[in-house]
Amino acid sequence: MFSVKPPKPTFRCYLPPQQTGIKKPPLTTPKKLEAKLLPGEIVVNEVNFVRKCIASDTSQQDLWGKLVCTNFKISFITDDVMHHVKFQYKSFLLGEHDIPLTCIEQIVTVNDAKRKQKVLISNQKLKFNPTELIIYCKDFRIVRFRFDEAGPESAKKVCLAIAHYSQPADLQLLFGFEYVARVYYNSGNKVNCVDPGGGGLEKKSLCEQTPLFDKPSDWDREIKRTGASEWRVCSINEGYKISPNLSEYFVVPVSLADQDLRQFSQFFTGFRIPLWCWNHSNGSALVRMASIKDVMQQRKLDQRVCAAITRSHPNRSDVYKSDLDKSLPSIQDIQTAFTKLRQASVIDPFEESEERWLSSIENSRWLEYVRCCLKHAAELVYMLEGKRVSVILQEEEDRDLSCLISSLIQVMLDPHFRSIAGFQSLLQKEWVMAGYRFLDRCNHLKKSDKEESPLFLLFLDCVWQLLVQYPAAFEFTETFLTVLGDSLWLSIFSTFLFNCPQQQDEHCREFVKSRSISCGDEKPLRFPPVWDWSQQFSEKDQALFNNPLYVGKSASCVQNGAVKSFKRTKKNYSCTLRGTSSLKNGLLSEPEFMPRRNSLVLRLKADFSHVRDAPDSPSEQFFCEWFSKPADLQGLLLPQLLPSHIKLWKLYFLRWVPEVQINMGGPVTAFHKMSVLADEIEMLQQRLRQYKGVGSLSAGTPEAHQSRMFFRASNLSDSSPMPEYLTSSFPFSPVGNLCKRSILGTPLSKFLGGTKIWISTETLASEAM
Amino acid sequence: FSLIFKDVTYICPFMGMIRGTLTVTNYRLFFKRVEKDSAFVLDVPLGVISRIEKAGGALSRGEVSYVLVCKDIRNLKFAHKQDTQGRTSVFETVMKLAFPVSHNLQVFAYEYGQIYPENGWKVYDPSAEYKRMGLPNESWRMTRINEHYELCDTYPVMLLVPANIPDEDLKRVATFRAKNRIPVSLNMDITRECGQSRSVLSWIHPESQATVVRCSQPMVGANGKRSKDDEKYLQAIMDANAQSHKLFIFDARPSVNAVANKTKGGGFESEDAYQNAELVFLDIHNIHVMRESLRKLKEVVYPNIEESHWLSNLESTHWLEHIKLILAGALRIADKVESGKTSVVIHCSDGWDRTAQLTSLAMLMLDGHYRTVRGFQVLIEKEWLTFGHRFQMRIGHGDKNHSDADRSPVFLQFIDCVWQLTRQFPAAFEFNEFFLITILDHLYSCLFGTFLCNRAAKEDRFLWSYINSHLEEFLNPLYVNYSHHVLYPVVSMRHLELWVGYYIRWNPRMRLQEPIHHCYKELLLKRAELKKKVEELQRELISRSASSSSERAASPTRSVTPVQTFV
Repeated sequence: MFSVKPPKPTFRCYLPPQQTGIKKPPLTTPKKLEAKLLPGEIVVNEVNFVRKCIASDTSQQDLWGKLVCTNFKISFITDDVMHHVKFQYKSFLLGEHDIPLTCIEQIVTVNDAKRKQKVLISNQKLKFNPTELIIYCKDFRIVRFRFDEAGPESAKKVCLAIAHYSQPADLQLLFGFEYVARVYYNSGNKVNCVDPGGGGLEKKSLCEQTPLFDKPSDWDREIKRTGASEWRVCSINEGYKISPNLSEYFVVPVSLADQDLRQFSQFFTGFRIPLWCWNHSNGSALVRMASIKDVMQQRKLDQRVCAAITRSHPNRSDVYKSDLDKSLPSIQDIQTAFTKLRQASVIDPFEESEERWLSSIENSRWLEYVRCCLKHAAELVYMLEGKRVSVILQEEEDRDLSCLISSLIQVMLDPHFRSIAGFQSLLQKEWVMAGYRFLDRCNHLKKSDKEESPLFLLFLDCVWQLLVQYPAAFEFTETFLTVLGDSLWLSIFSTFLFNCPQQQDEHCREFVKSRSISCGDEKPLRFPPVWDWSQQFSEKDQALFNNPLYVGKSASCVQNGAVKSFKRTKKNYSCTLRGTSSLKNGLLSEPEFMPRRNSLVLRLKADFSHVRDAPDSPSEQFFCEWFSKPADLQGLLLPQLLPSHIKLWKLYFLRWVPEVQINMGGPVTAFHKMSVLADEIEMLQQRLRQYKGVGSLSAGTPEAHQSRMFFRASNLSDSSPMPEYLTSSFPFSPVGNLCKRSILGTPLSKFLGGTKIWISTETLASEAM
Repeated sequence: FSLIFKDVTYICPFMGMIRGTLTVTNYRLFFKRVEKDSAFVLDVPLGVISRIEKAGGALSRGEVSYVLVCKDIRNLKFAHKQDTQGRTSVFETVMKLAFPVSHNLQVFAYEYGQIYPENGWKVYDPSAEYKRMGLPNESWRMTRINEHYELCDTYPVMLLVPANIPDEDLKRVATFRAKNRIPVSLNMDITRECGQSRSVLSWIHPESQATVVRCSQPMVGANGKRSKDDEKYLQAIMDANAQSHKLFIFDARPSVNAVANKTKGGGFESEDAYQNAELVFLDIHNIHVMRESLRKLKEVVYPNIEESHWLSNLESTHWLEHIKLILAGALRIADKVESGKTSVVIHCSDGWDRTAQLTSLAMLMLDGHYRTVRGFQVLIEKEWLTFGHRFQMRIGHGDKNHSDADRSPVFLQFIDCVWQLTRQFPAAFEFNEFFLITILDHLYSCLFGTFLCNRAAKEDRFLWSYINSHLEEFLNPLYVNYSHHVLYPVVSMRHLELWVGYYIRWNPRMRLQEPIHHCYKELLLKRAELKKKVEELQRELISRSASSSSERAASPTRSVTPVQTFV
């Protein structure tokens, strides 16, 4: 997915300039430019002599090529080389200039001469010949194509095709169906019927380590791992007999019989029986529940459910219920915030919005919502950990905010979910299987904007905040979170394509029937989960997911594929160093009261390091106490929640903005240094194992060092030079990905080449040579 | 000496009333909570106190309370029983000690005699620094014209000036520049004073020979006075760089202010008078605007942050906007020198506030040497201390006149800008955040003489001694020495952040800002440990294989069972 591009000079012919400043297409007919197609992918329409815009103010760097619309993506094929690209993110599924149809947010066509502009929607007519096509993407990119030299009719046809195919009338028209059928079920050929996700390697892949929670055994293992002995797997929803949007297997209190549950289910919205999420080692459980439709039954049912949960608690302690609809922003609020944030991040003109940047971020309210979710989750963590009571998350449908809050709580409480496999299993458990409506919330079919909401991204942002505050507590990096967020827009993986497991099963069955594909399997058609990262990225590139600071803990997290039961270990690397830093920020060591005269040197301390005398609330007291001690990275993690602690996730939101890219800077430069050190440590550990195992120096040539790290140590010396291609957008490149219309400003090359502002004309002239 | 006062209450904005004992010495104020098991202490050097006020508010009868407004972004409120015998309050005593200058007493640093293993004076040796830059060379010569501060009392003794300008001419140039500050280059600042201009070299590009030259404003005045000598002098600066036939003059001020200065005899270079020179205004506001901005910032961050309007409140202080303009100016200068290979002359009005900010930041971007601990000390010595930044005037050490219009957070802004650079380039600086905070704390503490006066004088340099004796605490573990790399920060509000580790550090809810450094240090320890283990094993295996080979010769059937150990 990533490759370093050497800047190559390209040879081009130019026509005598007719319109100044506009680059002309090559005179010669281009050699055949062919789209790279995936199995099952077909070209719908295409147009030649298209110019992809790279910079806003000049066409000098534009690329000439062919624009193709397939049933999966918009593809731009060119022989031209893009300059200034320092590093390019590459997926096996997509080319450099490709945009998956599901990633399209809005299609705008423009005719300059007629001064017309139109947002294209499926099955609409376009009354003018477009001279320009602007694609606004869900991942914040803005891509522009010019049709000045292209056949007007073909250009129009391609635009209409894109509009049509990006708004499929039916779920089964999403490309994934065709693709999966071709790749895994080659029309009746049973030989090819490999279980998607199976790698066949001796080492268990990340994907295999990730339980999908579609089998009772996955739930059983989770019950054992968390020591939830008073809870059991329930299979009354097998074949979706009870609820269409619950998973087939879930976990309930031991004291509730299947019969009771069947009876209860009819009173709950969506027939959703309360679901167990997780157990604390102190016995408190986290449960999620839909609202009770029938007002008459409400009290009685509430009592029954609470009583059963209480009975499953070792101390029979009370249940705390949190109404998420009342305490958190609605999904519409979140969507509005997101839209405003997009406006501020990529749409508003850069220079003009500088002065108001902070307040426009505040006005979007996105960070406020991030903080709000973290805060609410932390309060509930206090209930589970501090008050040792079970918690019920209640939401009208139990399919939106409960997914977010329950996963956040678990990330804070259980270090297992901070490993990559654990985190993936958490998403599988609390989002996919719990029936988060990915299809509707992502609006893959562009059916209803009202249903669209970036709840999942909000969750990733919350996790990112924790990652920034506790950089060594997570096995993954922000690149992992970003790539995960981007994968929402690939209609190939089961994970983000459906509203619930039942929908997947139903559509797969129908699809198989309609195509008369024989699978010879009880499951009709199986999509690969996104966790099979090898579908998208090379082994080497997946190493960018690994957090170098996590070294030393990875081994204890997963052993022999099964996860060891979750216990709070006292061992903590951070303790010692945290202590020494206390002079900066409080935490005075006890005996150091009146320092001796010769230690007059100022050592400033915070005003206090202790619990307040009169804390506002018990939870506040709990937090204060927790913060006064060094954090155990393998234990509970609480977020710091001052407004100044909540940051904008720049890698995600600003990676395409050329003006924001820092060359040879940004957090990645620290990441590089840490990776190299972590790699050295791994090499040493490996050597140590070899010596100990073999018992002699000579025996056995050292096996090739398998590194977790993307950046490797060249040898065991300190100096690994920093690669020149590192930028704050790494591993992404803003070149050609954020091309707003005709905004005057400094040429893109200046931003990407180094200096950023107010370059005098003289400098520009000399650089243009 | 020390005075001890019992039964004093510290009214903490975060935890409420704390009863304890207050100890006051001629250096600091020390408060300790009464209860034995509690570790609460306050340790405040008197130097940080900006003013002491009697405060009202709801108190129990017979109590008086005082607020100590501090220069390091906090206020401390104390209360104690009114003395029945009518003796003066503790805080009247404190007032005397905190403002020794106003009471004709000495600042503490002059009495402090700590000896450090390293002599801070050795940090900066001008000739060594010029030598590092290959100076003097055929174009630039060293002059001792200012040996007795006759040319300019706010300039260093040793100056670098264009080789073809004789000392007599320098004197004439000086009269055309404000406060005699001719343009001197890269560290050449020429003092231009009262109708005289001299620029002095600050830095020279190792390859292109483009120079950074600093000075004060030309004394053009309302009548547009010209100085042939000053013009010739700037021409000489341009000629010293063969790569470019242009010279850029950066005036740090907004153009309106520069014009307004004409009525006071000052002004700016007209492009008619200075052939081949291009004048650029950098729009950085004056000390009064900056002081006001910091005042607002303090209101926003101390003691509590308003939850719902944090960002817009921050925006309304304009603090980051000012930081942005300073960094943007420095970036333009660095770009001119690096990409344009052009020499630049920088000035504001007097050439010791904004000019110092700009030259030192530009030099940090251009030259990796200044990004080391020692290099940074040299930079402060060179651009701030020897070129006469008025520390005493801007900070007001020991002076009770808190509303003095000459006070301004010029140096704090510079350090804030440096912090912003360290955020954007986490591996480019040898020092860490704690180093910057320590420098700022001792800017006010009056423990060391480093920042006490208005120009480089006989004061001590114990701050450097102290820091260099405790180097480990101030190092950035992620530092990569890419000294030849020019830093081009992105000067945008998207990247500028409030330095919470400094401005919000008194809030107990703020924790460590650089957890990555700590994690990294742990990894370093781990690596060292592993290295040791591997080496031990290697040695052991070598000796064992030597002995076993001899054993094997005797009994060939024996084999060594490997010991299985888990790491």
